[in-house]
Amino acid sequence: MIYLDHHATTPCDARVLEAMLPFFTQQFGNAASKQHAFGWAASDAVERARKQVAALIGAGSKDVIFTSGATEANNLAIKGAAKARRGPSTSLGTGERDHLVTVATEHKAVLDPMTRLEHEGWQVTVLPVDRLGLVDLAALEQAITPRTALVSVMAANNEIGVLQPIKDAAALAHAKGAWFHTDAVQVAGKLPFDVEALDVDFASLTAHKIYGPKGVGALYVRRPSTSPRAGQRDMRLAAEIDGGGHERGLRSGTLNVPGIVGFGQAAEIARAELTEEAGRTRALRERLLNGLLATTDGMTVNGALDARLPGNLNVSFAGIDGEALLVSLDDIAVSSGAACTAAEPSHVLVALGLSTDRALASLRFGIGRTTTVDEIDYAAAKVADVVSRLRAMSPV
Amino acid sequence: MRYSDEVLRRVRERPRVGALPAGVDVGTGVAGTLAEGPVTRIDVRVAGDRVVEARFKVFGCSAAIASASLVAEWIEGASLDEAQALTAERVSATLQLAPEREHVARRAVAAAHDAIANARRK
Repeated sequence: MIYLDHHATTPCDARVLEAMLPFFTQQFGNAASKQHAFGWAASDAVERARKQVAALIGAGSKDVIFTSGATEANNLAIKGAAKARRGPSTSLGTGERDHLVTVATEHKAVLDPMTRLEHEGWQVTVLPVDRLGLVDLAALEQAITPRTALVSVMAANNEIGVLQPIKDAAALAHAKGAWFHTDAVQVAGKLPFDVEALDVDFASLTAHKIYGPKGVGALYVRRPSTSPRAGQRDMRLAAEIDGGGHERGLRSGTLNVPGIVGFGQAAEIARAELTEEAGRTRALRERLLNGLLATTDGMTVNGALDARLPGNLNVSFAGIDGEALLVSLDDIAVSSGAACTAAEPSHVLVALGLSTDRALASLRFGIGRTTTVDEIDYAAAKVADVVSRLRAMSPV
Repeated sequence: MRYSDEVLRRVRERPRVGALPAGVDVGTGVAGTLAEGPVTRIDVRVAGDRVVEARFKVFGCSAAIASASLVAEWIEGASLDEAQALTAERVSATLQLAPEREHVARRAVAAAHDAIANARRK
């Protein structure tokens, strides 16, 4: 079985697992136990991991808040900012900020919290994207008002790999006093991503997309004192989970020490190997694309090819049923626009303007650290063969 | 969507996929439209009161492919009356289709019945 679904998750790197193991058995202390050596060892390991994760994104280590994953990080950023900025208690002097802005191609872990807040009375603007999957900066500028609390735009899309203009989007948000969040889950560790250079206030991360364990993530939270803007000096999220005041009071709960240690190790490896790995996966992506183009008619690439994650390819095929395509690829693990739900096309591909049929007849390839040239060649040949056979069996 | 091993085998091997050349002894039946899910086509060659050969084509999901393949296999060698008595419930049960996929079994059976009626008219 060939694994080409690295946007969904990645295998835990053996070096990561090795770093984690002692923290399940010998060094099992609670990082919040200040009175004895078990706690100190756990706390030291967490702080080392915090530095490793921070280094991956160009942050100060105190800016990293560990969570259970990116979904929690997104919820904390979005709900935390919305709740912190609504109401007369804001000291910004611009009145109540009850408006949120995001983009139609965001992950559900951003869209669903936005929808919940909308039901609770916040105003939410969901901006469309163009056919390449990019947000229109002029439309974004127009959507942000003096009442906008937060703008959330993902750095790299999980389905089509398209990279949004984060630096420009953050500047537009800040120009009107809005805070800026980005879901950086797919880009961190794959391409250079520097929170200082991009000037983002919050960024969501997760370990399992960069060969770390599942169940641990982080939210980068810019410390108000380090903001270049005087108006942000009181920037403070409202916590979603109370109980003990862990993680700067933003995320209470006993820390997942083995997971955090694994996340730190995974971040360090990703940082060290980023340039080489980005080049290698990009070359494999080009090989896959060229292999498919040479053998398969009626195929289109979804999303911009130039502004894209190096290991991502998302294509649609004319004249075939996407579900049958996916099931026929029985020895290749890829994901489909069909997403195993009958007749429910990907909201990302629909946002690009694809018809339901085309959106359903799509494949997402996620190339990663373990992918080989032989696997890419096999996958290209297999997809071409299956597409050809499905078309040949069509009565229409 | 998780499928039974029998569905997966039929999608992989596609037994009896294809079409029969037109002829006085060949009937063709089509069920479904592109707008409403799978399109299933069954061709049958009839000799006397028996279906001696059956083939299918499908535009649709794995369950539709497996259903049409199974129906073609069952009716080949069956009497016309036996083929007409075939039900979607039997197809669905054999393939262990989820309730939301049972309509594709009905398409396959409807296409087979249509093909036999077409052959009988000739």
